[in-house]
Amino acid sequence: MYAKLILRSARRSARDYLIYLVTMTLCVALFYAFLSVSSRFYKPDIGVEYDFTLLSGGMKMAICAVTLLLLFLIRFVNHYMLRSRQKEFALEAILGMDQRTIAGLFFAETLLMGGVSVVLGIGLGAVCSQFITALLLTSYGQPYRPAWTLFPDTVLWTVGFFLLSFLAVGLFQTRAIRRTRILSMLTAGRENEAPLTQSRWMQGVAVLYLALAAVMTVQAGRMLYFYGDSRFPAPVQVMFWANILAPAGLLAWTAVWAVRRRKGDFPVLVLGLTAGALVCILAAASVPVTQRRYMLAFGEGGVSQALTALLVHLLFLLCGVIWLASTLLVWRKERSAACRYQGTNLFFFGQMISKLRTTSKTMSLVSITLVLSIFLFMAAPVLVGWADGYLEARSMYDIQIYSRYNNVYHEADLPRDGYQAVTAFLSEKGIETAADRTFSLYLPRREDFHQRVKYDFPAAAISLSDYNALRTMLGLEPVELAEGEFTTQWQTIASEEEREQFLAEHPTVSTDAGVLTLAEQAWHDDPMGETLYNSYTDVVYVFPDSVCQQLLPVMRCRYSMTAQPLAYETARALEQFFIDHYPEQAPGGVNYSIRLRTLQVNSTRAGNFVLQAAMIYGAVVLMVICLTVLSLQQLLDAGQYRYRFSVLRKLGVGEKEIGRLVVRQLGFWFGLPVGAAALAGGAVVGCFVLVVQAEIGAYIGFGALAVQLGITAAVLTLLLGCYFVSTWAMFRRAIEA
Amino acid sequence: MKEILKLEHIQKIYGNGGSITKAIRDISFAVEEGEFVGIMGASGSGKTTLLNCISTIDAVSAGHIYLDGQDVTAIKPGDLARFRREKLGFVFQDFNLLDTLTIGENIALVLAINKTPAHQVEPQVQAMAQRLNIQGILEKYPYQVSGGQRQRCACARALIHGPRLLLADEPTGALDSHSAQMLLTTFEGIHRQLGATILMVTHDAFTASYAQRILFLRDGEIFTELRRGGQTRGAFFEKILQVLTMLGGGGTDVR
Repeated sequence: MYAKLILRSARRSARDYLIYLVTMTLCVALFYAFLSVSSRFYKPDIGVEYDFTLLSGGMKMAICAVTLLLLFLIRFVNHYMLRSRQKEFALEAILGMDQRTIAGLFFAETLLMGGVSVVLGIGLGAVCSQFITALLLTSYGQPYRPAWTLFPDTVLWTVGFFLLSFLAVGLFQTRAIRRTRILSMLTAGRENEAPLTQSRWMQGVAVLYLALAAVMTVQAGRMLYFYGDSRFPAPVQVMFWANILAPAGLLAWTAVWAVRRRKGDFPVLVLGLTAGALVCILAAASVPVTQRRYMLAFGEGGVSQALTALLVHLLFLLCGVIWLASTLLVWRKERSAACRYQGTNLFFFGQMISKLRTTSKTMSLVSITLVLSIFLFMAAPVLVGWADGYLEARSMYDIQIYSRYNNVYHEADLPRDGYQAVTAFLSEKGIETAADRTFSLYLPRREDFHQRVKYDFPAAAISLSDYNALRTMLGLEPVELAEGEFTTQWQTIASEEEREQFLAEHPTVSTDAGVLTLAEQAWHDDPMGETLYNSYTDVVYVFPDSVCQQLLPVMRCRYSMTAQPLAYETARALEQFFIDHYPEQAPGGVNYSIRLRTLQVNSTRAGNFVLQAAMIYGAVVLMVICLTVLSLQQLLDAGQYRYRFSVLRKLGVGEKEIGRLVVRQLGFWFGLPVGAAALAGGAVVGCFVLVVQAEIGAYIGFGALAVQLGITAAVLTLLLGCYFVSTWAMFRRAIEA
Repeated sequence: MKEILKLEHIQKIYGNGGSITKAIRDISFAVEEGEFVGIMGASGSGKTTLLNCISTIDAVSAGHIYLDGQDVTAIKPGDLARFRREKLGFVFQDFNLLDTLTIGENIALVLAINKTPAHQVEPQVQAMAQRLNIQGILEKYPYQVSGGQRQRCACARALIHGPRLLLADEPTGALDSHSAQMLLTTFEGIHRQLGATILMVTHDAFTASYAQRILFLRDGEIFTELRRGGQTRGAFFEKILQVLTMLGGGGTDVR
C-alpha cells in the first residue's frame, strides 16, 4: 500500500516538478561527463609525449567542489515541495497516519525522483562525455574518435555523490515534517507573507555593509599612508583619495540619515547606499588599473584588497537594486491611484507584492550567483587563451637552455659552457636535432654588470648571426644590419607606446665597442621565446657580430629543435639529467634552467583543461541552478495561480489580457535578477578585461576574444530564452481554463 | 416591467457517441428588470449548468438566451469576456476572492477592469462598502475576516459596476445560519434599494424564501414555478417546502 502511495506521489510530483527533474538529470549528466575524464579506465589517445595522470586528481576535486553547490538546489526544491504539500500531510495525519511514516513516505518519494534523475543523468552523461573527450583531444591537438564506454568507477562516484546529497537533504526535511504541528500544516499557505517593509534581510545587509565600509575606509587610509606620495601624478592621487572618500561617504550619508530620520524612510538610506556603492565600485576598480599603468609599489596585496572591496560593493549593489526595485513596486502601487486602478494592474501588484518578502531575498542570491556564473563563462576563454598564448610564446623551441646572472657578482663566475653534457645525453638516447644553436647574450656596457635594481635592469644584446640563426630555426626571414647600426627585438607583451617611447629615447646606443645608430628597421616583434631577454626587460638589442666580440657575455643559451617530438618520459629524464649537471643555483651564482616543449605543453594543457573544464562546469551548474530556482519559484505555486486566474476569468478578463499578465509576471521575476546580474556581470568582465588587457593583446587578440565572448553571450541568452519559454509554457498550462 | 433576461428552449448535452447526458432538456423562462428569482432543485437537476449557460461560462447545445435583447449564444468567443465584465455580476459559494488583495482592492478590481477613471474608484468602493456594512474591513485581507464578511465583499464586488443581472450560485452554501441570514437581508436590501435583478441558485428553502419567484427544476426541466406575491416570507417558505416534498428528496430539507 505504502509502495503504491510513494509511486503515485512520485508520478504526480514528476509532472509538477518536471523542470527540477530535467535540471537534476542535466546536473548528473554534466557531473558524470566531466568526472569520466578522471576515471581509471579512461585512456584517450593523446600521444606518447603527454602524460594524463596529471589531470585526473585535480579534475575530481574541482568537479566535486562545484557540485556541492547543487545541494542548495536540491534543498530549495525539497523545501518547496514540502511547503506545497503540507495540507496533504496534515490530512494524512488526521486520518491516523503516524508523522514518522508520512515523513518516510515523502523521503522515499524524493529519493525515487532523485534515483530516476541519476539513472537518466548517467545515460545522458555517457553521451556528453564524448564532448568532453573531444574538448580534451582538441586541447592536446589530437583528432577526435568516439569511444562509447561506461566507466564503473565514475558511475559509482556519481551514484554515491548524489545519493549522499539526497540523503542529507531528505533527512533534514523529514525531521522538519516530524516536528511540525498538524494544525500548522493544516493552515499553511492560508496567510499572505508579511509586507516587504517588515523584512529584516535588507536591514541586516545594510548594517553589515556599513561595517565593511568602515573597514575599507581605514584600509584605504593605510594604503595612502604607506604607499602615497605627493609626487605621484593626478590620476594616482584621485585613486588613493577616491578609495578613502567613497566608503567614508557611505558612513557620512548614514549619519545624516540617522539624524534626520523619519518613520518609513529606510528606502532613502538604501537608495543613497546603492548609489554610493556604484561610486565605490568605480574607485575600487581604478586600483588595479592605475597600479599597472603607473607601476605602483603596493603590488598584489593592495590589488587583492581593492578587488575584495569591489566584490563587497558589487554584492551590496545587487541586493540594493533588487530591494529598491521591489520597494518601488510597492511604492508605485500605494502612491499612484491612476497606475493602481489601470486595467489589471491591481491584480498584477497583488501577485508581485504578496511574495516580495521572500522572493526579493531569493532574487538577490540568484542575481549574485548569476554574476559569478557570467564571470566564469566570460573569464574562461580569457584565462585559457592567455595560458595557451603564453605557452606558444614560451615553448618556441623543443629544448631551451639558458642562464641568468642576477646572483653573479664576479665576472670570472659568468658561464662559458657550451652545454656539451646535453649533447652527450641526446646522442646516447639517439635523439637527433634538426637545428641547434648555442649563443651568448651580452651587456652593451661592462659597467652595467653590477646594475641590479629591478627597474633599471639593462637590456641585453645578441649578435646578428645568432639572432638570424634563431630566426631561421623559427622559419623567419633573417635581418640585415650595416656596420655601426643596431636594431631591437621585442617581447609580444610589450605595448606599442612602450616600444615607441624606448626607440624615441634611444636613437643611438653607446657600447664598449663604440656608439651604434638605430637601423631603419628599428624593431622586430616576432615571438622568439621569452628567455631571449634579460630579467625585467622586454627588449633585446641586435648588434653586429664585430661589436659583440668586444662586449661582456653574461648569459649563455642553447636552443634546439629535435627531429622528432621528445617523448614524455625522455623529456622528464633530460630535465632530471640537466638539473643534476647544471644546478638551478650553481656555486658562482649562475642560475641554469631548461625548458622542454614536451613538459611545458603537457603541464600547461593539463592545467588549462582542468581550468577550462572546471570553470565551464561551474558556470553551467550555477547558471542552471539560478534559472531553475527562478523557474520553480513560479511553477511550484501554480496551484494558487490557477485559482487566482480563474477568478479573473470569471470577472470577465479575456485570455489575451491573461496572457499579457503572465508575461509581465514572469518578465518581472526573471527580468529583474537576470538584468541586474547581466549589468553587474558585464561590469565585472569589463573590469577584468581592462586589468589584463596587455595579456589579451599579446596572447589572444581583442578581435578573437570579442568573437568568443559574443558566442558565449549568445549561448547564455539562448539558455535563458529556453528556460523562460518553457516556464512560460508550463505556467500557461497550469493556469489554463 | 421590461424583460431583461429571456431563455428560449435551452438544451445542454454533455458527452458524445454512446454516453450522452442531458443536463438541460428544454428550459424557457423570462426574468423582468428588478426581479429577484430563485432557482431550486435537487442535486443533478441542472441548476448550476443553467446558471453557467446564462453567465456564458458554458455554451448551450441548443436554444437562445437573450440579455437586454442581445442573444448571448451568438456572441463571439473573443467578446464573451467583455460581455461578462460589463453586463453580469457574480456571487459564488466559495466567495472567489483574491487572497493577494485586500477586501477593498478586491472590490476595486472590477472597476479597474471595467476602465473606470482612477479618481472615481475609491469613492465608489467606499459607497458600496457603506451600503453593505463592510467599510471597517476594507484594508483587511480575505483570510483576516469571517465567511459572512467575505461573502458581503463578494456581493459588493458583483454589484459595484452596476451589472444588468446579478447571478448568485449557492451564496449561503459556505455560511453559518447567522451569516446566511445577514447576507440574505443584504440581498433583499440590494434588490429593493438598488432595483437589482437577481438570479439565485440554491437548494436551501430558507434562502429561496427571500426571492420573489422560484423556478423548480427536475431532470433538466422546469417542474413548477412559485410566486411570492403578497404573502409573508413565512407563508412563502411553507409553500416552498410543499413543492420540495412533491419534487421528492426535498422532504428531507423540511424534516
